[in-house]
Amino acid sequence: METALERQIASASRSVEEARRLAYHDPVRVGALVEQISVLADLRQKEGDFRKAESLYREALFRAQELRKQDPDLLTGIYSLLAHLYDRWGRMDKAAEFYELALSISANNGLEESDKVATIKNNLAMIFKQLRKFDRAEGYYCEALETFQRIDGEQSSRVASVYNNLGVLYYSSMDVDRAQAMHERALAIRQNLSDGQMDPADLSQTFINLGAVYKAAGDFQKAEACVDRAKRIRAAMNGYHPNPRRSAALLIDKSL
Amino acid sequence: MREILSIHVGQCGNQIADRYWRLVLREHGLTENGTPKDGNMSAAANANLEVFFHRVRDGKYIPRAILVDLEPGVIARIEGGDMAQLFDESCIIRKIPGAANNWARGYNVEGERIIDQIMNVIDAAVEKTKSLQGFLMTHSIGGGSGSGLGSLILERLRQAYPKKRIFTFSVVPSPLISDSAVEPYNAILTLQRILDNADAAVLLDNEALFRIAKSKLHRSPNYMDLNHIIALIMSSVTASLRFPGKLNTDLSEYVTNLVPFPGNHFLTASFAPMRAPGQEGQVRINFPDVARETFAQDNFTAAIDWTNGVYLSACALFRGDVKAKEVEENMAAIRKSLNFASYVPTGVKLGVAETAPEGFASSGLALVNHTGIAAVFERLITNFDIMFDNHAYTHWYENNGVSRDMMAHARNTIVNLAQSYRDAS
Repeated sequence: METALERQIASASRSVEEARRLAYHDPVRVGALVEQISVLADLRQKEGDFRKAESLYREALFRAQELRKQDPDLLTGIYSLLAHLYDRWGRMDKAAEFYELALSISANNGLEESDKVATIKNNLAMIFKQLRKFDRAEGYYCEALETFQRIDGEQSSRVASVYNNLGVLYYSSMDVDRAQAMHERALAIRQNLSDGQMDPADLSQTFINLGAVYKAAGDFQKAEACVDRAKRIRAAMNGYHPNPRRSAALLIDKSL
Repeated sequence: MREILSIHVGQCGNQIADRYWRLVLREHGLTENGTPKDGNMSAAANANLEVFFHRVRDGKYIPRAILVDLEPGVIARIEGGDMAQLFDESCIIRKIPGAANNWARGYNVEGERIIDQIMNVIDAAVEKTKSLQGFLMTHSIGGGSGSGLGSLILERLRQAYPKKRIFTFSVVPSPLISDSAVEPYNAILTLQRILDNADAAVLLDNEALFRIAKSKLHRSPNYMDLNHIIALIMSSVTASLRFPGKLNTDLSEYVTNLVPFPGNHFLTASFAPMRAPGQEGQVRINFPDVARETFAQDNFTAAIDWTNGVYLSACALFRGDVKAKEVEENMAAIRKSLNFASYVPTGVKLGVAETAPEGFASSGLALVNHTGIAAVFERLITNFDIMFDNHAYTHWYENNGVSRDMMAHARNTIVNLAQSYRDAS
């Protein structure tokens, strides 16, 4: 029997086919085709068919480059989606290459201050952290943090996420003091977020991260208290995650 | 339903498509738009029609075909002609600025930018099938698009569909009717990919086609004449897949019957009676003459070395107004005259189909695997070596990501292929 995802893929395939026909007659419609292709690629990725998703994103990229008046925002987005795909696929070098291409286009077209670019920087930093290029990771996290602080102000979930990620990075490079400082800032923000912004999974993650940092610093009582808080929050969630797309967007590093 | 997807690549591949689909439409009683001709129910009644076509809502039949070119010219002519409404526009891919007769541009530079779109369109076409048996590709191996891009498509098809059959109809260049100096380079590089990725390739050697056309048409032939011959051969090769019959009813059967050794899958074909377009019905010839012409050495589409080679395998399809008994009697005599390798059975797989090609009362097709095809490879290698040893034109390839080492490797692979055919004699 056809699953919901299979039905979505079939429907998206038909939309791409129709968009191809329209774009064939009218090159102005290529932009709409690119969007349809991206939708299908996203579904293929969810299905776990990374090869097909890659092929679709690459088609979208080359079609977008064909446009008489190129759209840097669109190109940045496609490069970023390809990078995200390579990241999920475990092809870290390719992911870094495509995130950097996305940043290069945005820089050349004055789009550096957007939250989309800050997200790309955050994600690229995560790749560099996995590649154990800590200096480059720190640089990109700090740039992402500055942009989110400017756009959202200090009290924002995105700012807290980057503090969390910086904490994870410092912990990975054995800098426990700075890791503790970052996680405490993340905790201070996350505990005071409004209901709409509050994500219990993120809050619980911060307690787990802080617990690990306290344990590394030799403060076992505090570590145990943090883990207990994290457990209670998780238990209250009862498997429910208010915003499953958040983790898919890779904004939060939970690798600690 | 065992569907087959046709992929036409490059200028030559699409010119063949133009002639081929015209013939197929007529054989199935369809108009140039893909609709059944007035009062003609035979199209709908033919269960095998959906092997090559898919039916859409208004009763129209759309070829399961993908047209690809790096220059818009030929496809634009198809779109501007009487088959303008036939093909699905989502399956037409044309790009500029072309491959400039350079395999490396078609394979690397332009190919890199377009291959994903092509594969996505192929995937979408495959999704419309219930049980795909494989792919047919038409292309020239001497130009840039059909050779370079065609090679890339073959590689990607094999990766994406490892269990599906891939058949190519590959036009081999000849100095007699030549477009560019670098054709031997393009041909050798492409033959290597056909060897590695296709299950069978019908070689349509321009040198042989030119000779056939000149002797049968009694004038200096042009590309249209050569493409007409190719289309007649393709329509007959695919006839047993398109109409009920007992020859080779699917691509796997073709491969099983015609390929005795892995890699020795390069075939040659013959069609009889060969006539110019529009003159098919003028001379009605008897069956013994059709059978003789079908297996006449000068009627095959590759410049085979008949004197130093043997038949590895052969099959024949006779179509139209022919009687099974007559076929058996005449083929028994012809079979004795064919020089088969000592280690293979001397049988010729025979088939008879009621439907003759449009304009013919009857026709014959021979599809054979003959070791003398080594001569075609050796001719190309000789022409390749003359240029390669003097470093002529190789910079165009190196500039586009194909090193001299890669070219030399392809050349040596085809030398070994030719030798394997010679050894099989």
